Amino acid sequence: MATKQPTQNDECPQAPAQAEVQAQQQPQPQSSSSSSSSSSSSDPTEISEPNIYVALTHDHLNYQTTIDRVRSPEAGAIVVFAGTTRNNFNSLPVKHLSYTSYAPLALGTMLTICRSILVKHGLKGIAMVHRLGVVPIGEESILIAVSSPHRQAAWRAGEEALEECKAKVEVWKREEFAGEGGGVWRANRDGAVGVRVDEPKIGDGEGDKKEESNK
Amino acid sequence: MSAPKPPAGHFNILYFASASSHTGKDMEALPAPLPLRKLFDTLEERYQGIRETVLDHSLVTINLSYVDMPSSEDEDVVIQEGDEVAIIPPVSSG
Repeated sequence: MATKQPTQNDECPQAPAQAEVQAQQQPQPQSSSSSSSSSSSSDPTEISEPNIYVALTHDHLNYQTTIDRVRSPEAGAIVVFAGTTRNNFNSLPVKHLSYTSYAPLALGTMLTICRSILVKHGLKGIAMVHRLGVVPIGEESILIAVSSPHRQAAWRAGEEALEECKAKVEVWKREEFAGEGGGVWRANRDGAVGVRVDEPKIGDGEGDKKEESNK
Repeated sequence: MSAPKPPAGHFNILYFASASSHTGKDMEALPAPLPLRKLFDTLEERYQGIRETVLDHSLVTINLSYVDMPSSEDEDVVIQEGDEVAIIPPVSSG
């Protein structure tokens, strides 16, 4: 597994941001069935502070848990974005996707993004959870939930949070195409190659779906 | 997997995504101290072609902070023993 999972705070004393990273037992109740074989795969890595939750996990993403993290009596809207893994890239069939991360750095970047967007849009809460490891086609690879007093701010904040995440968070997607050897490291940035030698250049990623629950 | 502490006189360098594919490694320990401006040359010596295919498109962190490649000797940063350096190719989260 290429993922650097800071499952123990004392394993990387030279990595300062890990002091605020907590490694805890899986809090999502029904998600253990998707664990991969890695021994660290069921240990989510997360940071929470008032009104903000960010996490990386090898398990299924849970809508209800994520929405509940931003629920507030002062909110009139919760917007949830779900990024799901698409079965093709420019018509090339993708048989397999996996994500890896530089976990302590990625969590720090997610936290910075969420802090900024929380303030900018006057949110009551924001949660951002990215899945790692193999994500079967059609499943969620990222959930972002935001709550705000009124829906307009929530829509805008949700979109901005996703765009910032895709531009900055240190997570990498690898696509394996059916009938071809090897795989492709995708790059979100326009014009960036960011892939192995002899790999085709690639563009934007997953299929999207949005939900709004307006109260 | 977390990075083990590097041996005495070394720093850890972590390779992600295309950097990992090119080197065939997730990480390794390299001799310290090493001036940051010599990092890419050091890697190119070990992994021919990595500069063009990976490093020119990547960012670098030292102990989880992004660093700029020094443009002159005067502003150089030196990678120290025990540091954790990472090669950060363009991200593809989401």
